[in-house]
Amino acid sequence: MRFLSLPAIAYLLVLFYLPFLIVIFYSFGFPNEFTVGNYEIVTNPIFLKVFLNSLLIAALTTVICLILAYPVAYYIALKSEKKNLLLMLVILPFWINFLLRTYALMTILSPLGMMFTFQAVIIGMVYDYLPFMILPLYASLEKINRSQLEASYAFGATPLKTFLKVTLPLSKPGIVAGVILVFVPSLGEFVVPAMLGGTVATVGTLTWDLFLRYHDWWRGSALSVIYIAIVFFSLYLYIKRAGKLEL
Amino acid sequence: MIKFFVASVFIFLYLPIFYVIVASFFDVKGFTLKWYEQLFQSKAIIVAFYNSLTLALISTAISVILGTLAAYSFVRYKMRSESLFYTPIIIPEITEALSLLLFYNLLSFPMGFYSVLLGHTAFNVAFVYVIVRARLEGFQRSLEDASLTLGANEVQTFLKVTLPLSMPGIVAAALIAFTLSWDNFIKTAFTTGPGFQTLPLIIWAQAARGVVSPSLNALTSLVLLVSLLMAYLYVRLSRKT
Repeated sequence: MRFLSLPAIAYLLVLFYLPFLIVIFYSFGFPNEFTVGNYEIVTNPIFLKVFLNSLLIAALTTVICLILAYPVAYYIALKSEKKNLLLMLVILPFWINFLLRTYALMTILSPLGMMFTFQAVIIGMVYDYLPFMILPLYASLEKINRSQLEASYAFGATPLKTFLKVTLPLSKPGIVAGVILVFVPSLGEFVVPAMLGGTVATVGTLTWDLFLRYHDWWRGSALSVIYIAIVFFSLYLYIKRAGKLEL
Repeated sequence: MIKFFVASVFIFLYLPIFYVIVASFFDVKGFTLKWYEQLFQSKAIIVAFYNSLTLALISTAISVILGTLAAYSFVRYKMRSESLFYTPIIIPEITEALSLLLFYNLLSFPMGFYSVLLGHTAFNVAFVYVIVRARLEGFQRSLEDASLTLGANEVQTFLKVTLPLSMPGIVAAALIAFTLSWDNFIKTAFTTGPGFQTLPLIIWAQAARGVVSPSLNALTSLVLLVSLLMAYLYVRLSRKT
């Protein structure tokens, strides 16, 4: 009964893959004549500024998420007695769309007079992406065999040394997965900068504006193709290192 | 020390959500339901509520059927090219959304309920596939073999053995698909047409200007509580099995 998979395959081919092919066509000038001119946006100073800005936001978000998430994941995996409850609290935010969570954060930031700043964007990004960092870190820390830690102690290593020489290296796959899961989507994030950032422009807000405000689908498509290339390149690097993709 | 740090991070994660829900039940005089009463006096919001609910229900129904059948045949026949179903999960939503916009425009497909529905269903099919597939791999193939050996045909085996055993996975997938469609924003924004509104689009239209208001708190809480209800059902379901 292999044919049972045909409706789903056909659905995705028509409503996911084919549209994506059309984006590539548009980035080369379709339905007008072929051109690579749309990709010249990468040499445009405004675009470069927006791209560097996004890169900075994504990098800061990733670093702050990692610093906040590691102790949390470590605690849940190795120290906590209420593992299930805490794990549930990490997973619950995955069920709520960024739009709603960002609005919830707005109700706190707004009375504090912290809206429409670069800092507000960073707070919002960390707020939304933190669970994406905690979960893979938890997954790798949880797999650590406690006897390895005990061996380290038995041979006289201090807790700090045990952490640096045993725990941290063993959790590396989780760190890499978490960094990719946070960095890649936050590079193209739209909702947070649009709601909290005021005039802060990112790859996400630029994409939105090119499509829905200026109707410049051609350059918008080129921008998306570049972004997708970055996404796939990061995943490729990850899969090459880790052997396979685990979510 | 670490306990304090972990507690602070969880407060950071949950304070805004609690705050928006609590604030939606208060005005200067104290507890009130008036913000919710106001919501349901607005015809635009009632229509959007109906739209969001219909979209989520129909998209869930279609994606559960397509995704489950696909998961079944891929697992049982060890078919390749599974990445077909993983790409839609990995691709950033905004890219998927704009590609649909171009696709519909090229076909002159009318933008509105159906264009949004078809878009939501695309990522839901992928999610259902991944979740049901994990469940199907989790139980013993021998149960199906036993059924076949005892004379049931493939269709009977599927309906009487495979389907009931994979039901927890299917229900979990349905809950996730419903929620993804119910509070979806970016894909809806790119694929909707004039006059077709959903609750997240109404929230966006006001919140994008940075305005925080009690009625918006109520509307956001309403959408949020439905999503949390789905999450709660999901957790209960996974505890049982």
